[in-house]
Amino acid sequence: MLDVLSDTVTLSRLQFALTAVFHMLWPVLTTGMAIYLVIVEALWLKTRNITYYHHARFWTKLYVLNFGIGVASGLPMAFQFGLNWAPFSEAVGDFFGTLLGFEGTMAFMLEASFLGIMVFGWERVPPVVHFLSTVLVAIGANLSTFWILTANSWLQTPAGGFFANGKFVVQDYFQAIVNPFMINSFLHMFFATLETALFVIGGISAWYLLKQRDGEFFSRSFKIVLVALILVAPLQIVLGHWSADQVYHYQPTKLAAMEALWETIPANTPADWSLLALPNQQLETNTWELKVPGLLSYLLELKPALDTPILGLKHWAPQDRPQMVGMVYYSFRIMIAIGVFFVVLMLVTVLAWVRGKLTPAALAQNKWLLWSWIFAGPLGYIAVECGWMVRCIGRQPWLVYGELRTVESASHVPPGVVLFSLSGLMVMYAIFFVVTLYFGQKIIQKGPDLTLPVPRTALQPTLVTEPARHVPDQRPVEASQS
Amino acid sequence: MQPLEPLHNFLPQVWFFILGLFLFLYVLLDGFDLGVGILSLTAKGEERRTILMTSLGNVWDANETWLVLMGGSLFGAFPLAYATILNALYLPLVLMVVGLILRAVSFEFRENAEHKMVWNITFGVGSFLAALGQGFALGTVFEGIKVDEAGHFAGGMWDWLTWHSVIVALTLIQGYVLIGSTYLILKTTGELQNTYYRTATIATWTTLAGAVFITVTTPILWGHARELLFSRPLVYVFAAIPVLGVLLIIALLRSLQLRQEVAPLVYTFLIFALSFIGLGFLIFPNIIPPSVTIYEAAAAPSSLVFMLTFVGFLIPILLGYNIYNYAVFRGKIVVESQ
Repeated sequence: MLDVLSDTVTLSRLQFALTAVFHMLWPVLTTGMAIYLVIVEALWLKTRNITYYHHARFWTKLYVLNFGIGVASGLPMAFQFGLNWAPFSEAVGDFFGTLLGFEGTMAFMLEASFLGIMVFGWERVPPVVHFLSTVLVAIGANLSTFWILTANSWLQTPAGGFFANGKFVVQDYFQAIVNPFMINSFLHMFFATLETALFVIGGISAWYLLKQRDGEFFSRSFKIVLVALILVAPLQIVLGHWSADQVYHYQPTKLAAMEALWETIPANTPADWSLLALPNQQLETNTWELKVPGLLSYLLELKPALDTPILGLKHWAPQDRPQMVGMVYYSFRIMIAIGVFFVVLMLVTVLAWVRGKLTPAALAQNKWLLWSWIFAGPLGYIAVECGWMVRCIGRQPWLVYGELRTVESASHVPPGVVLFSLSGLMVMYAIFFVVTLYFGQKIIQKGPDLTLPVPRTALQPTLVTEPARHVPDQRPVEASQS
Repeated sequence: MQPLEPLHNFLPQVWFFILGLFLFLYVLLDGFDLGVGILSLTAKGEERRTILMTSLGNVWDANETWLVLMGGSLFGAFPLAYATILNALYLPLVLMVVGLILRAVSFEFRENAEHKMVWNITFGVGSFLAALGQGFALGTVFEGIKVDEAGHFAGGMWDWLTWHSVIVALTLIQGYVLIGSTYLILKTTGELQNTYYRTATIATWTTLAGAVFITVTTPILWGHARELLFSRPLVYVFAAIPVLGVLLIIALLRSLQLRQEVAPLVYTFLIFALSFIGLGFLIFPNIIPPSVTIYEAAAAPSSLVFMLTFVGFLIPILLGYNIYNYAVFRGKIVVESQ
């Protein structure tokens, strides 16, 4: 254990893992929620039903809280490629750096600039401009998903050039951007943020419905979420399956780790799918295992047996394959379980709706359904984190799959220095996590303000929720003219 | 020699300019954010602190994003410089990032908190630490970074900490306080505004003292700077900068005395611009001072063209909607007592 504390590479990896896992928690909600905010604001403009306006205002509070932590925790992400992974940055900067530059100019600035108008601008700009700002915030957020997933996909399936003397030379930018994983990875993540946000909104709405607080108000968000999930939840399963299929074709070492498959399955033999197992790294086998006969061959190619062998982990030397097999294996299964649970919960709730049992009064009686939704609230985060662990731990020992090893990519910083920044961030993040939960809980306890008047109706805005805000120059005309 | 030779020189120069622009906008805009943050440590009363933070509420995030743009673009355009500089400045940049994180979370946490004191402190201290980290990074620009033949960092983790860099850092903090107080003059009224007229006047003098010190010591301490400063035709530029600087300082002090509201901020902007131009001439054509040039550290020309196509096209749009954001929220901040 103490070896870890004196090894720069491991510490740098831990720091990246910590910052990435923690950072992920906030944008995963806000990117998806931005789309929800666009929907309710569009409904408000179209129907002029003030409930939708109050929805926009209420959920924006949670949005901004999460956004703030997301921006803060994103900063180390922007810098640590250079701080901790200098050799990597130099080797692939020509392409990888370009994408991060794009993310900043196309996505971050758009989101950051229009967020001010979206949050504080209700009284300051016409409704259409406000709506446009909300749309641009949502576009900005999802553009960052696009560029980050493009960059990460390129690490998984590098394309569009070649490595010469350890440096990546780009030949075709389009090919590098549209690398084999890119389209699917972006779609899978796009719907992951959306699904996570929808279940958070659904879970919080369920909590109010259970408490019979503002039931009418929250049954509306509950139904919007449900309608969206009819499309999103099953689609995500399909995209997830497609992702795993791509791993099978492009990253055999990762597939073997995902399935805890130590021995190669020869061609023309039915491949079993492991449901549960206890992988043992030392013995290079699973201590015990529960299998579904023949399922893996069906999952991969819809055939009882495959024409080509499925390579097991032992096919590669230990230094050429992922080490944390158990973690990859279980992360993958937890993600699948959550995805399936989401579909089932959606179907059960739709069924209740068809039977006309989705009125606030009927729902308040259906306690187990509401509790299931509350339980589902945080599950999206767990699924997303698990998915990323499969993706990035499963890619090891490579940083750029098949081309650049993680051990060769770390900066030569003394371990004590990395330990210092790592522990500093750890303490800060632990505090922020608790504090954000506390304030989020306070916002939810307080509930929506259903007395907020329609914006820009009064000559002088009278009701303020914030103790201070911007008002236009109101000095007498003579004073400003003299 | 080769037909592509001019392009090979021109592209890195364009990117040097774009990165300079991003960094300049960052220093200017987040400069006043950080200045306001540092000043909040001395503000008396919850109402005043609320005004200070409200003046930044809609802009701090976009302002900070210029730094992220600059980081990402440096990574893409000059990968070697991104790797080496960040490696060399590990500790000051971690300090800066920690400071910026504390500053960022303070806005939302304070808004939701009943006991605001903790988040007042994290806001002020975070702003101060971020400015301090940036000051040390700036100090290293003068000091130079030790590299091997390949341009990789070859120095120690504490190279950035010298008596000279401490003074550079303190000067930058003074500069941020100056720009922060002139911003607050624009956004506040009455007694609070009076406070910042006084603060701005004091900060002008302290910034001036630091600037004079840096200007005088740079050619004395570093041979490479000395040669550059006294070479023609640059000597005229470097001679003109202090003269213009003194004129601008006089104009700034006069506008503060006359209680003008917009002029102090404009003059401070110009003083920052002037220092920045001076710094640019001192560094160019290096990107890792004092030895690695932009030509050596640049990405492949095709990368630079590819990136320029998109980023160059976007710069006017970025500027446009940032200006719009400021226009929407123009005017004074007032607190409604309830």
